[in-house]
Amino acid sequence: MRYLMLSLADENTPAPDERLFAEMGAFIEEMSAKGILLATGGLEPGGLRVTSSGEEFTVTDGPFTEAKEVAVGFALVEVRSEEEVLELARRFRRIVGDGVSEIRRVQ
Amino acid sequence: MIDAVWKLESAKIVAALTRLVGDVGLAEEFSQDALVAAMEQWPAGGMPANPGAWLMSVARRRAIDHIRAERRHDRTHGQLAHDLRHDDTPEHDRDDTLRLMFLSCHPVLPPPARVALTLKLLGGLSTAEIARAFLTGEQVIARRIADAKRTLAEHRVGFDLPGPAEAAGRLASVLEVVYLIFNEGYAAASGDDLMRPGLTLEALRLGGMLAEAAPQPEVLGLLALMEIQASRADARTAPSGEPIPLHEQNRGRWDRLRIRRGFTAMLKARELGGPPGPYLLQAAIAVCHAQAPTAEETDWPQIASLYDLLLRLTPTPVVRLNRAVAVGWAHGPQAGLDLTEDLTADPALRNYHLLPAVRADLLLRLGRPGPARREFQHAAALADNAAERAFLQRRAAALQLEEPEGPLLGPAVAAFLAARPKPTAHSYGQTLRRLRTALGDQTPVAEPTPAEVARVATTAWGATAPRTWNRHLSALRSFGAWTGRPDLTADLTRRPEPPPTPRPPAPTWRDVDVAPRERALWWLLHESAAPVTRVLALNVEDLDLADRRSRTGITWRSRTAALLPELIGGRTRGPLFLSGRRPAPARTTAKADLCPHTGRRRLSYERAEYLFKRATGHTLRTLRLT
Repeated sequence: MRYLMLSLADENTPAPDERLFAEMGAFIEEMSAKGILLATGGLEPGGLRVTSSGEEFTVTDGPFTEAKEVAVGFALVEVRSEEEVLELARRFRRIVGDGVSEIRRVQ
Repeated sequence: MIDAVWKLESAKIVAALTRLVGDVGLAEEFSQDALVAAMEQWPAGGMPANPGAWLMSVARRRAIDHIRAERRHDRTHGQLAHDLRHDDTPEHDRDDTLRLMFLSCHPVLPPPARVALTLKLLGGLSTAEIARAFLTGEQVIARRIADAKRTLAEHRVGFDLPGPAEAAGRLASVLEVVYLIFNEGYAAASGDDLMRPGLTLEALRLGGMLAEAAPQPEVLGLLALMEIQASRADARTAPSGEPIPLHEQNRGRWDRLRIRRGFTAMLKARELGGPPGPYLLQAAIAVCHAQAPTAEETDWPQIASLYDLLLRLTPTPVVRLNRAVAVGWAHGPQAGLDLTEDLTADPALRNYHLLPAVRADLLLRLGRPGPARREFQHAAALADNAAERAFLQRRAAALQLEEPEGPLLGPAVAAFLAARPKPTAHSYGQTLRRLRTALGDQTPVAEPTPAEVARVATTAWGATAPRTWNRHLSALRSFGAWTGRPDLTADLTRRPEPPPTPRPPAPTWRDVDVAPRERALWWLLHESAAPVTRVLALNVEDLDLADRRSRTGITWRSRTAALLPELIGGRTRGPLFLSGRRPAPARTTAKADLCPHTGRRRLSYERAEYLFKRATGHTLRTLRLT
């Protein structure tokens, strides 16, 4: 089963330092080699928002002030169980520190 | 949650502990102790910050306690501490994982045991989980794993990496086990589901682990092959559970992520260079399929030539069948069908449902729905998997045909045999059964060509003795004449039978293992052709060893000459051939028949005759003639 893990951040989240980069690199390498991590990447905080309503198609530039937390990174993982994805999330959060992640099963 | 941690960490832990204690059974026991400790402590005290390291240190502590108890008498603690120092570098972990894989896939274990042990030790699966995956009882798996551990201990299989001479073979065994697990999941050989995705995932993880520990071309090739095959998982089954053949799959449903991972592994393998092995070639074939935007754009000539290379490395019937499929697309269905002809009589494929299924497809493309339908029916009868069987039956039923003309092969053979006397029916039945399996019971008698019958006969009995060949041919001729097809055996000819050769006497005296005295006597009788009494009358002083003759006129050749010195030993005179015992005191023996050195008597004719008869069943006289 596959899950998409989104890590969220707000304005209080500290910028990543060198230690975090190194630990994260090792974690990503280990999980990729194991075949668990299928894809991962960081996301720009702003981005674009498009809205369609009838014939109308609206594009808005970010950042979007109304959102308190925004997704700043994603990981697509292939795991045996929900337990396993939670364990991965726990390890991930231990590296990046306090904060929130969202986990969604890919259906 | 503990279970998830365990599955992610167990390979590393068991591997490190096996290095420590040198016994995989013990290593697993200590690791299990750590798991039990976690189950007791974590729920109450909370999960440790680094659960993997926690498990590792508990397990190590158990192992070290055990070693201390074992070595208390002959080792100081200082030395022990030195032996047990921590050296958990990533290189060590990778090495240990590889060693553990080599161990669990060791050739002394039967393949099912290798699979079970690998899933247990490296995948961290429980006995129950393995049993579920293989649709068998937990007891069966538990016993299999226990037996495997015992076998490894009995054979004293070490934890060392194999030397260069052995390494390739051992790695091949690991690759085989991983691919076996993958296929068990991907192509579920039996049961009602077409796939057991759990096992596929385990195999992919094992492959990834192996590729990290031993990044060699074939390892990466296997990983690429599995990734690309797995990419089609969603596309290869219809909602009803039926299989969808590759060329009919919706390529939009192929998992591009997996394909890309497969390509990456493939590229790494190519960068390493060297001639491609079987897994790399199969991966290259999978890449060809993955790269084609539509089935029609598949590069079949390229695939066919890759199969040519593969066939050279692994000339198995299944590879030949796959090559026939590729050729069927690259150079037309008739070319493909021709390649399957030889395979139909291959005993290895006799129960392989894909052979008739492939032939059915080719026949259909040639516009021959009649034979195609029979092949589909045959394939359905052989398929173990329920979904696949249903699919093949439906394909057979979809071919609306007019009733075939004339009698069918199966019933015709039965009627023919029923009209024969019993011994003939028995003998002919053996021959005709082979014809029925090769051509199919539902084939009209009017259909097979003489060439087809000749092919069946040659494959089945081509290598037999002329007498056997002629017997089968008589049966076929008799059936052909009876059923109105005397031409059936037109392409077959009788073979000349050699005259019966007399059996050589067995055992011959030359081959019998006997005492030096008998050997010398027999060879002397044989080489001299002299009467037995005269040979037994020989005295040591009569012999001229250099000239190979006696003063009494007996001559001999090289074999006797080689044996005589040992027989004579230090003796200078007296009877050459002596009896085994001294004479009883009461018995008077002529002085000339007594050995002055040993006091033994000359060997008697009766005794010599008896010994020869007991050893060979013949009389000594025959030695003069053979």
